[in-house]
Amino acid sequence: MKPFGYVAAIDSEHAVALLAEYGKGAKVLAGGTDLLADLKFSPHPPPDVVVDISRAADLKGIALTDAGLRLGAMVTHSEIVHSPLIAEAAPALAEAAVVIGAVQTRNLGTIGGNLITCVPSMDSGPTLLALDARVTVLGPRGRREMPLSELFVGPRRTSLAFDEILIEIVVPTQNLHKPAAFQKFGLRKGQALALVNAAASFWAPDGVFTEPRIALGAVAPTVIRAPKAEAYLTGRPVSEEAMAEAGRIAATEAKPITDFRASAEYRRDLVAVLVKRALAGAFGRVTPNQKDLAS
Amino acid sequence: MAQDLMDRELDVLDKERVAPVETLRRSDEALRLPAVAPPTALPLEPPLVPQVGEQTRAVGLRAQRPDSRNHGLGLTRYIDDIALPGMLFAKIKRAGIASARIKRIDTSRAEAMPGVCAVLVGSEIPVNSFGPSLQDQPLLAHPIVRHAGDGVAAVAAVTEQIAQAAIDAITVEYEPLPGVYDALEALKPESYKVHGGDTNVYASKVIKRGDVEAGFAQAYRIYEGRYYTPGIEHAPMEPFTSIADWDANGRLTIHASIGRITLARCDLARTLAIPISRIRVIGTVVGGNFGGKNEIRHEPVLALLAKKAGRPVKGRFNRVEEFVASTIRHAFHMDYKTGVTKDGRLIARQVRMVLDGGAYCSFSETTLGKACILSTGPYEIPNSLAEGYVVYTNKTTAGSMRGFGAPQVCFAYESQMDEIARDLGIDPVEIRLRNMFREGSMSSTGQVLHSVKVKESLENAVKKFGWEVQS
Amino acid sequence: MIVTLTVNGELRSASVPPETTLLVMLREHLHLTGAKTGCDVGDCGACTVIVDGLAVNACLMLAAQADGRTVTTIEGLATREGLHPLQKVFEETGALQCGFCGPGVIMTSKALLDHTPEPTPQEIRTALTGNLCRCTGYVKMIEGVQEAAAMMRSPQSPALAGQSPALAAPEQK
Ligand SMILES: Cc1cc2nc3c(=O)[nH]c(=O)nc-3n(C[C@H](O)[C@H](O)[C@H](O)COP(=O)(O)OP(=O)(O)OC[C@H]3O[C@@H](n4cnc5c(N)ncnc54)[C@H](O)[C@@H]3O)c2cc1C
Ligand code: FES
Ligand code: FES
Repeated sequence: MKPFGYVAAIDSEHAVALLAEYGKGAKVLAGGTDLLADLKFSPHPPPDVVVDISRAADLKGIALTDAGLRLGAMVTHSEIVHSPLIAEAAPALAEAAVVIGAVQTRNLGTIGGNLITCVPSMDSGPTLLALDARVTVLGPRGRREMPLSELFVGPRRTSLAFDEILIEIVVPTQNLHKPAAFQKFGLRKGQALALVNAAASFWAPDGVFTEPRIALGAVAPTVIRAPKAEAYLTGRPVSEEAMAEAGRIAATEAKPITDFRASAEYRRDLVAVLVKRALAGAFGRVTPNQKDLAS
Repeated sequence: MAQDLMDRELDVLDKERVAPVETLRRSDEALRLPAVAPPTALPLEPPLVPQVGEQTRAVGLRAQRPDSRNHGLGLTRYIDDIALPGMLFAKIKRAGIASARIKRIDTSRAEAMPGVCAVLVGSEIPVNSFGPSLQDQPLLAHPIVRHAGDGVAAVAAVTEQIAQAAIDAITVEYEPLPGVYDALEALKPESYKVHGGDTNVYASKVIKRGDVEAGFAQAYRIYEGRYYTPGIEHAPMEPFTSIADWDANGRLTIHASIGRITLARCDLARTLAIPISRIRVIGTVVGGNFGGKNEIRHEPVLALLAKKAGRPVKGRFNRVEEFVASTIRHAFHMDYKTGVTKDGRLIARQVRMVLDGGAYCSFSETTLGKACILSTGPYEIPNSLAEGYVVYTNKTTAGSMRGFGAPQVCFAYESQMDEIARDLGIDPVEIRLRNMFREGSMSSTGQVLHSVKVKESLENAVKKFGWEVQS
Repeated sequence: MIVTLTVNGELRSASVPPETTLLVMLREHLHLTGAKTGCDVGDCGACTVIVDGLAVNACLMLAAQADGRTVTTIEGLATREGLHPLQKVFEETGALQCGFCGPGVIMTSKALLDHTPEPTPQEIRTALTGNLCRCTGYVKMIEGVQEAAAMMRSPQSPALAGQSPALAAPEQK
């Protein structure tokens, strides 16, 4: 690797102070699984200094707060997989985390790093979008909070300023226990990026699709929602045909590309199938009293 | 606020300044301790491998590798686990362009870098060629680049990091040349000639038995098909790594993860123009070969760098170089024409294959030979004609890989066998049994075969995978 | 910068440039060459070591990030008294061929067995997803991990006699 300096932050405020100190020459280091792999082969000059946030205590931990289920940006994929809290309140998050890379990568890689790297095939994005997650960012101008969708700008581009860090992701209280599921299709079952991934969530009071959410990965410049498919489902009785039709509609909303992993047509077909499966998976999590549980 | 935070002095760079005395003392003590592994007493237990002269029952026992205990302990010393005192690290600049003429190389910035001990380019190498069969491969391309993985310059420096920085600082000006990237294209008279001359074909083979035309004339049906298998990288877990070390008497020692020591010495002697008696090659435990570590690769470059620098030099491929600058399995284009009797007996087979050899020869001749010999399959066919060609293309060099061409032709003839069986309505196992070599069969090369067990093998396999149930 | 680790139960420091990965520190500064460099980008698992009880890719972690933490490498598994059950079983069953992937496979398996003493074949497969082996085809490894697990569960396991306390399984998380 090319030479760079290293400083460690003890907490998020310290990290922001260090970023302010070193300016554009600084780069945040979380688990390092994306950043170090990039730095090893990048033709660009290295950062002056990496600001290691992996020791920042306030960026860690999974907890229930007044706002909802809070995941610190430094929560690793393995922690999500093994969290009893997540298994209880938002199991689809664990479904998405367990298919990221391999055990070793999941032990290092963080949810914050996954979102900020912002590749369209990220596996954390779809489920969080389908659960209307919100994120909090800290910078020299203080905190700001926004829907996750506003973080994503383009491939490898977020709305984060160079001197800001992501500090937490919150699944709002009203969406805890919302039936949701995640689906991924890669060229192998493990250690493979998604050709397409998808997540879906909905409530089903009286067997009717309510507040459906469909999110797709790897088929557009960022992870996206499929609003037409959602509109189609809203108010419709839950049925397999409706799920399949929503999948077909979502496929028309996807804007996949052809690359060395798969063709655009193949990806479009995958969208239809994975959306249907995600909806079916979510339906499997519907319990009669779910609406009450959440309120 | 920022200043306030900075005053908390948690900057790890300044950690020594703020750490409690106890931590400091512990840290210093740890520094003074020799950096060795905790002791493992050896041998731990009597070795499991049979002792010399000891009679052991072998059949029905678990086989134990003599080296497996060291493997499990992490004690096996692979080439990258070896370091010589004063050793430098080499990096090779790859062309990154598949077909070009080098117009200018500027190494001045690299040479001026602190820590750089030697820089090498192709134009200064007296015998700039090597290869296990044809010596058609330059140590460092000059002036023609024939594939993207060709080395164009090399550096030895005190660390790998500095060597890489020096490589990055070398600028090369290329004049792009036309190229050829498909083996069938390369056969055409108007194609770009990778090594000049009037053809890209550099090896060919014909094997003939009986009279195929007469065979086809008698056939009940004739099947024709084109089959293709792509190039494949060996991808050993251990990347290519070697160390070159000269002594003051002009003797060279190469430590390398390589399978064919004497071949390596011959090739090195030729290209370095020193007697073979002055070259010692120490083959280290190979971390996966699969045919890709049968010949020298960057060793002569390391040797020249080591000579220039007067110090031992280690070079190791990164995973990308492993794909672009090592050899791969030949891609095969195969045309099969087979004449069959009504009851499914093969009476004539004509095979024409074109192998994509990539930029240099490596073990292409051996691969072509084996492929032609085996191209009729384990079947008794009275009339056969196999012809094969290897062509140069501006791609990664193809060389030896497990089976030397056998898997490629197997894919073709077995695929065609299934097509024939389906068309004639004969069970795929049955059609193979009808044609299989048996005691005294003659192969396409005229060899009479004995101790033939292929029928029994197939019958056994069929039982094991439950063919009857499936069909 | 100076990085201090507890490696295989002993405190060790080295002065390394900040961009040094844990893998380079172990191999080149502490001369613990058991962990291997296969791909250097997190794909192959040849560099797997255990940091604070978790299997990680040492090639994707800065040494600085491991400062003050506990690292176990393949060199730390055996003791004077005997091999770790995984090492013993892998030796006896020929689970390794060229062996280059071995240290990584064994460390990943150890981390698995520390948390999951009775893994199913599927759990073993999942755990080994990040450890590529080009030689073996994994079958004997998977059987070997099961065999070692059984050995470790039986209290009279002779191979366990020498387990040093420093390397005992970490607290269940
Ligand atoms: C072998 C391998 C397999 C992989 N497989 C998958 C897969 O299947 N699916 C998948 O989605 N991903 C995969 N990844 C990608 C990667 O593991 C994830 O994206 C991971 O979550 C990144 O997190 P990290 O903590 O390692 O990020 P880092 O590498 O530390 O950081 C990544 C980027 O985000 C920035 N950053 C990190 N945290 C913050 C923060 N809190 N605030 C501001 N900026 C921040 C960094 O500056 C950097 O630019 C794989 C990676 C590897 C090496
Ligand atoms: S060397 Fe670290 S995963 Fe391959
Ligand atoms: S034994 Fe050779 S890579 Fe696994």
